[in-house]
Amino acid sequence: MISELIIRQVSRTINWKGIIGVLGAFTFLIGVTLLLPVIIALHFEEDSWRGFLISAAIAIGVGAVMYAAFKPDKEVQLRDGFILVTVTWFFLSLFGALPYYIDGTLPGYTDAFFETISGLTTTGATILGGTTASGVVNPDIETMPKSILFWRSMTHWIGGMGFIVLSIAILPLLGTGGMQLFSAESSLMSEDKITPRFKETARFLWFIYVGLTIIHFFTLWVHPSVDWFSALNHAFSTLATGGFSTLNDSVGGFESAYIDVVITLFMFLAGVNFVLYLRMVRGKFSLVRSNRELQFYTLFTLAFILLISASLWLTNSYSIADALRYGAFQTLAILTTTGYGTDDYLLWNSLPLALLAVLFFTGASTGSTSGGIKMVRWFIIFKDILLELKQRVHPSAILPLRVGDSVLKSTQVRTILAFLMFYILIFVAGTIFMTALGFDIESALGASIACLGNIGPAFGSFGPVENYAEIPAVGKWVLSFLMLLGRLELFTVLVLFTPAFWKK
Amino acid sequence: MKISIIGAGEIGEHLASLFSSEKRDVILMDSDSDIVSRISSSYDLMAIRGNATSISDLQNAQVADADLVIAVTNVDEVNMLACMISKRLGAKKTIARIRNLEYSDKNSPVSPQEIGVDVVISPETSIASDIFQLVKRAAARDVATLAEGRLQLLGLRINPDSPIANNTLVNFANSVSDYDFRIVAIQRGVRTLIPNGESKLMKNDNIFALLETRNVNDFIKRIGYKRNSIRNIMIAGGGIVGKNVLDLIMNDTEHWDVKLIDPDKVRCLEIASKYKRPLVLHGSSNDPNLLASEGIMDMDVFISVTEDEESNIVNCLLAKHLGVKKTIALVSKPTYIPLSQTIGLDSAVNMKLSTAIKIHQYVLKGDIYSVSTLYGLSAELLELGVHEKSKFLGKPIRKLSLPKGCVIGAIIRNNEIEIATGDSVILAEDHLFVFSFSDDIDSVTEYFK
Repeated sequence: MISELIIRQVSRTINWKGIIGVLGAFTFLIGVTLLLPVIIALHFEEDSWRGFLISAAIAIGVGAVMYAAFKPDKEVQLRDGFILVTVTWFFLSLFGALPYYIDGTLPGYTDAFFETISGLTTTGATILGGTTASGVVNPDIETMPKSILFWRSMTHWIGGMGFIVLSIAILPLLGTGGMQLFSAESSLMSEDKITPRFKETARFLWFIYVGLTIIHFFTLWVHPSVDWFSALNHAFSTLATGGFSTLNDSVGGFESAYIDVVITLFMFLAGVNFVLYLRMVRGKFSLVRSNRELQFYTLFTLAFILLISASLWLTNSYSIADALRYGAFQTLAILTTTGYGTDDYLLWNSLPLALLAVLFFTGASTGSTSGGIKMVRWFIIFKDILLELKQRVHPSAILPLRVGDSVLKSTQVRTILAFLMFYILIFVAGTIFMTALGFDIESALGASIACLGNIGPAFGSFGPVENYAEIPAVGKWVLSFLMLLGRLELFTVLVLFTPAFWKK
Repeated sequence: MKISIIGAGEIGEHLASLFSSEKRDVILMDSDSDIVSRISSSYDLMAIRGNATSISDLQNAQVADADLVIAVTNVDEVNMLACMISKRLGAKKTIARIRNLEYSDKNSPVSPQEIGVDVVISPETSIASDIFQLVKRAAARDVATLAEGRLQLLGLRINPDSPIANNTLVNFANSVSDYDFRIVAIQRGVRTLIPNGESKLMKNDNIFALLETRNVNDFIKRIGYKRNSIRNIMIAGGGIVGKNVLDLIMNDTEHWDVKLIDPDKVRCLEIASKYKRPLVLHGSSNDPNLLASEGIMDMDVFISVTEDEESNIVNCLLAKHLGVKKTIALVSKPTYIPLSQTIGLDSAVNMKLSTAIKIHQYVLKGDIYSVSTLYGLSAELLELGVHEKSKFLGKPIRKLSLPKGCVIGAIIRNNEIEIATGDSVILAEDHLFVFSFSDDIDSVTEYFK
């Protein structure tokens, strides 16, 4: 069905028929995936199977009607793609929230929606275990039915799966997202771009995604304190760089150094561009090794693990082993925008905390499930700064910006700078909005960046051991919007708010 | 000998005038009737108007019975096609100017010979390697590399403080005991002499010495130059020649700091995108402020290869004035070459001369394997084969009555290089490197035939 999503040039009118039809197809699909938790519920003999079945029936029914009524006959065009991508994420969250609400696990639909979009955007911000502004007490994680926890992790996994294909294959066509920078890089796009046949590419990428999830599942399951259920849920969550856990204390609840190390490693792997795995499978190791973003990502990660661990050891009097264990885990959890916790970083001293705060603004590689600004953009911005300095010394010099062996066009650099500025502006706007709701500046800054960057835990009232329940409904909808903005790399969504987009 | 030249551009015209002055049958074809009428009125040759890829026009240019067809239009593909057609029509030998170096590559799927091109010339490439040689031998004013790089002919100036100034050649040669060298010519003012052992080296002489490449560094030191200390190079002009020079410099194992100036922004961007290390500057190469702010004073070599030869000369004079040790200018009018030395330029390289001489070897009779150009004086270094029946076999060189204006510089026997001395004996199958004035080249080739 996705193969129908062939996006061509700009058409004159918006193909609403096509958009609704394709949307119907996606809704149908989410309905089908809602049947999986039914099996889990039946296995654990939970009553929640009824809620899932009803939700699945609604989604499948609505999806089928939409698809049948608006059978997309024409191809979906470029401009329709912007609408479709944004609306799909929103629409699927609406349906994905049904089981929480129908089953009565979460009393408010707003909370259910927040939890679902947080899952599908692989953010991992939760409202579980908190009291809402209207005084409703949400149950905490470990008291939830297992099928609901499974669905929660699955929203991550589905969201991650969707985003890999979106970022690698669709956003470049729309001219947004970091992956279009790759079109400049060596032979990637001509040869692997990654195969013009969309279907085959998607299948390859998902194969890798599923493969890594399975490997991660087994590496967790071998540990005696982890049952298959938590292993599966955490595997889903890690690969999607989501952050939902089945434990109240997140990964820290396992109290196992082995688990910490394994998850640290897989968070790193989930932050690598999936195209590079594809190349590895095809045996093109030199192309992988010469990838500038991977080099930068690796060095940057190692540098921050060392800095944060060293400062934990020096200022927080952690033992060297503990400093490395918690420092590395928390570095990767924030850097890859996963958002797991093994340690309450709000108890850290200012130095390690400040270092960690930097990572809220980085994100991992493009083409991974990670959110945020992403490594390649920072790499280019740093290079641009250096060139700018060099230009002062040599005013007449022509200094093209290169990534690896390829040279970026000045318009590409401009797009990245605009992205960064836009990102910061939205982050500031989100912060001001949260302070308007009455939160202190630290919490407001944290919530804004943690949602925009698809990270999850933040600072102040929304720290790693806290949750987002206490935010008033309007705040939850705005933060949901921030998650969507961050996930779809700003421009994809924001272009819908420009008058020029809607002009004929 | 009948020669058809296709394309009356700079090089085509120069070749035509050269060959017609040698009293050869020259037919020149060009598509521009103005050029054709101008050329036919100024040289003793047949100039016709025609399309280089038209079979009937090529037949009009009598390629069918030509001994040599030279296709030197501005377009590679046209030259290739013209050669291909000519070869099919019966031309004995074809030469095409092909700028795209991919075809000359060993791994090219199409070799020039396959498409009827016997010899590929690329003036921009050969001039670039000439320039590069001059950079590598910073002290030398002229360099020609021979025998697969094992032998070099250097043109060097004897500075007033040189230890060998006012010495005789015999004394100098005796002071160098570990290897042989041969000074084939001395340029003193406007005169060029072929020296003998008693000739005295004067200050400000330019000497032309033939020696093995491995001894070059030591030799340059003995003339009184310090060790090659080239670090910083500035290139003015990012045209084909400039790019080729840059290419050679970048692919060399030595590390050089290069700055390239070009007034064309698109070209600058293209070069800056291709190479990581050189600093590409957008601006005019005769803007003293730009040159000064980019540290022209620290440059060891300044190479001016813009399309405008007058500005190349001016650029180099400016650079010289600002203290650059060595300047190299690309000039296309051969008349400017002696002039450039008079006004103090170090080296002038000439594309037309270089190409003409390269092509010349295919026109000359006898077993000539290669010809090297010396820009500073109108002389050439010929590589000749020796026949079994030659009259001078087995005699020491000093006993031979060589034609005037020539010197035997080196002998290659069984792939071993021997620098020729008076006692050297020539054997059959030897290859000789013979220095000869351009004017005497016919008598020299006749002698060695």
